Amino acid sequence: MSTISLHDTHNHDSHDDHGHHKETFLTKYIFSQDHKMIAKQFLITGIIMAVIAMGLSILFRLQLAWPDKSFPILETFLGKWAEGGRIKPDFYLALVTIHGTIMVFFVLTAGLSGTFSNLLIPLQLGARDMASPFLNMLSYWFFFTACVIMMGSFFIQTGPASAGWTVYPPLSALPTAISGSGLGMTMWLISMVLFVASSLMGGINYVSTVLNMRTKGMDLWKMPLTIWAFFLTAILGILSFPVLVAGVVLLIFDRSFGTSFYLSDIVMGTQVLPNEGGSPILWQHLFWFLGHPEVYIVIMPALGISSEVISVNSRKPIFGYHAMIYSLIGITILSFIVWGHHMFVTGMNPLLGGVFMITTLIIAVPSAVKTFNYLATLWRGNIKFTPAMLFAIGLVSFFISGGLTGIFLGNASLDINLHDTYFVVAHFHLVMGSAAIFGMLAGVYHWFPKMFGRMMSSKLGYLHFWLTFIAAYLVFFPLHFLGLDGVPRRYYAFTEFEFMQKWLTVNVFVTWAAIFGALAQVAFLWNFFYSIFRGKKAPQNPWGANTLEWTTPVEHLHGNWPGEIPTVYRWPYDYSKPGAEEDFIPQTVPFSQTMSSNMPHDFEGDVESERIQREWEANNKAADDTEKLD
Amino acid sequence: MVHTLNKQDINVDAGEDTKPKKFIMWLFVVSSTIMFGGWTSFYIVFAASKGKGHGLVLPDAFMYSTGIILASSVCLFLAARGLRKGDISLSRIFLLATMVLGVAFGYVQFDAWKSMVNTGAVLTNNNAAISLIYIVSGFHLLHIFAGLCIVLNAFVGTYKEMSLEQRKYRMEIASIFWHFIDILWIYLYVFLLLNS
Repeated sequence: MSTISLHDTHNHDSHDDHGHHKETFLTKYIFSQDHKMIAKQFLITGIIMAVIAMGLSILFRLQLAWPDKSFPILETFLGKWAEGGRIKPDFYLALVTIHGTIMVFFVLTAGLSGTFSNLLIPLQLGARDMASPFLNMLSYWFFFTACVIMMGSFFIQTGPASAGWTVYPPLSALPTAISGSGLGMTMWLISMVLFVASSLMGGINYVSTVLNMRTKGMDLWKMPLTIWAFFLTAILGILSFPVLVAGVVLLIFDRSFGTSFYLSDIVMGTQVLPNEGGSPILWQHLFWFLGHPEVYIVIMPALGISSEVISVNSRKPIFGYHAMIYSLIGITILSFIVWGHHMFVTGMNPLLGGVFMITTLIIAVPSAVKTFNYLATLWRGNIKFTPAMLFAIGLVSFFISGGLTGIFLGNASLDINLHDTYFVVAHFHLVMGSAAIFGMLAGVYHWFPKMFGRMMSSKLGYLHFWLTFIAAYLVFFPLHFLGLDGVPRRYYAFTEFEFMQKWLTVNVFVTWAAIFGALAQVAFLWNFFYSIFRGKKAPQNPWGANTLEWTTPVEHLHGNWPGEIPTVYRWPYDYSKPGAEEDFIPQTVPFSQTMSSNMPHDFEGDVESERIQREWEANNKAADDTEKLD
Repeated sequence: MVHTLNKQDINVDAGEDTKPKKFIMWLFVVSSTIMFGGWTSFYIVFAASKGKGHGLVLPDAFMYSTGIILASSVCLFLAARGLRKGDISLSRIFLLATMVLGVAFGYVQFDAWKSMVNTGAVLTNNNAAISLIYIVSGFHLLHIFAGLCIVLNAFVGTYKEMSLEQRKYRMEIASIFWHFIDILWIYLYVFLLLNS
């Protein structure tokens, strides 16, 4: 705990007396306490879970597009869940439930925050590691166990949980309600408790690291926007996940001990259940008190990543650095008072609905501030279209097109019509699904050289981007129209209703687009795994970025910097500064080395520095003048 | 070549190293508070919508356990003071007293549940407010168990070969957590008293 291992080939003689630290395969790759290795573990587990969840979505898309067609191959793989080559209704519900759960929690919460908070918080702040590397390791292993249990539920007789990712009672509270409510639901709950424990350990670690372990000169207002986003995301998690645990505990007691927190007046078949006095609405309150901040837990790290990537690749300072931070803070605070917009149709008092409607519409303001700032950063920038940059721009696109429909859904009166239709599915798959995935992919392409010391292929990156970008719009955009026409989500075979039959052709189209989009991910997977081993060796600072992580050696070492941790002198967005020699000035360069490009506001009112600068400018001007006279 | 560097080589002094870890404990306190906040707000909403609370006269045992946990906090405070003054043996005695009182607290809580069961206010109840008494006191008891482990860690530290700084660090971690669960119980007890 008190030592830090270091790869050092030059002056190890002077350190020999400290004793050799033996790193085994187990401590280096499995039970690693190095934040960079833990980040990779989160990323690769996240990618595997994402591929699984994508596969599940293709399965239920097959059912939606060809409800009457038999695919014998499905029976080969899925056995009794696809008897006669057709997905069974029970299994269909399990597929949508586990697809949602994996994507929201395992990929876009753990895979995204777990990867990039772990990687970048110590590296961009100038810390040797996290506040508690041990807790950090534990966080990954809790996450891993949660993944195994969640996937394990596919291998039990009654199948996985099927009550939707929001697991509303009574479907989730009565083990005999549907087949997925049995052991599968129990495993879901256990998996989620482990997941929340993992998230809390991670989040607590991130916050403590950000507040206590910044290097010299790195005050809060010199932190990159990535760190601000991860920091506020972690705070959101700490404040909201415990409420989910509280709700889940009560649900477990309802399921297994016969209490009546959420249950009342239920008749199963001919049997009247003894439970009285509970209310399923209370679960929805507890769930959405987490659930709504959760969607910001998903999107904020992606927004932070794209702030960084867009600024670096536009070769311009981020537009409105302070506005970006205040809007993140605004989103953080507001996200706690909007959860009721998920519950407009639960018989909520219309006055209360109005309150939630207003708060929901207000949260559009900081979101719009961020969008405009991205666009203003891009405006007349010297844009370098790296794959990371394309994905970051893709995020902005999805955030706009998905965000606009949020304004529809946030209106209580419109929501009565649109609630639980494909309009909602279209909305959140664009604004938090695609946008967050694109932010994550932007991060992977941008920081891959830092993670693995090698470059990914740009050509495959471009291919991956365009195919995915087009496919995502082709999949999710048509769903708006289904929703407007009243097609309900989660239905196994809505074609049974005559007025919806006309949408079948659209569903066929959407499914083909989804298959096409899924195949496009092969380009990414190949690129990712091939480049880990065979990619081109990465230079020290491949993108010409200012932040601290690019000052660490390409070869990783536990402790990050071989010597002293660098000191920070300036904010992270000095790109294309007039008068500077290069188009970027790293945070570690003091103002005394950049006299030709310093601006009066750089000194933040420090009179002595301003005086020195003025003196230098006067001398320089005199020298220039004499030169001109000659 | 892989080898390790001592802390001095990387300019980290021991004092600074413990600050982030103590902060972790504070953040845990925050998240735990919120979990119990979730349950008590469940209670408030439930009671408001049904127009009834748990409607019980809480067992006297809860009163005794409140006294016990308060006494244990005082003991831990004295143990920490003993350590600061350099009186290890005094510190040990009070740490031991804290743990004994902690175990006694657990015993009395079980007793309280027993008397609740005897009056018919069981866990499996159609009044969720009564079930919730078991939930909050049960999960508080889990915290007591964790707290006992942390206090034990500080206690073992007084026997182990380690610097005063490290002993103080273990003591501070134990203090943050134990005083927190003390205050948490008082909150829960007063809450249940006021919202019957």
